[in-house]
Amino acid sequence: MVNTKVAIIAANGGLFDAYKVFNIASAAAASDAEVGIFFTFEGLNLIHKEAHKNLPLPEGKEHFQEGFTKANVPSIEELVEIAQEMDVKLIACQMTMDVMSLEKDAFVEGIEVGGAATFIEYAKDADISLTF
Amino acid sequence: MDVNKILDAKGLACPMPIVKTKKAINELETGQILEVHATDKGAKSDLTAWAKSGGHELLKDTEENDVLKFWIKKG
Repeated sequence: MVNTKVAIIAANGGLFDAYKVFNIASAAAASDAEVGIFFTFEGLNLIHKEAHKNLPLPEGKEHFQEGFTKANVPSIEELVEIAQEMDVKLIACQMTMDVMSLEKDAFVEGIEVGGAATFIEYAKDADISLTF
Repeated sequence: MDVNKILDAKGLACPMPIVKTKKAINELETGQILEVHATDKGAKSDLTAWAKSGGHELLKDTEENDVLKFWIKKG
């Protein structure tokens, strides 16, 4: 997976969405791929300092909380840290931040802020592109 | 088998066995052997795929009492 580039768009902000994004991203990074994630609209929740610690389960699926605990699944906080340790690039969407009146300091340390063109430039030669 | 390091990844769910294995193998030299213990049922296919994608060699794997064991030679 060296010389493999993975470009991910995270556009949704629930707990299930977060696991989809960070599990794939950290597995790819652990396999030596270069990984970048563009967080847009509700996807910004996944890297929001406070929100990412308590992401909602889908309505009617709250009972899965027990399953997460039982399966010893890492928290999203841990997965964000792991992703950053493995140099996964986290890009927050500037336009969404403007719409939602969010500043860079509302997010976890180490993120980049960019627009759609930033992501397109990153993703143009990606081997794997995913949207969640 | 001459094992250089043992990683206990038992009880961990995806993607942690892979993440921990990656960290552990970073501490080894090429040609050295890492032994991994896991209970995540997905680890069998995941570690096989991971070794392949990283250029490492999965020398052997066993399953005993729900514990999966892998021996990986760093590539």
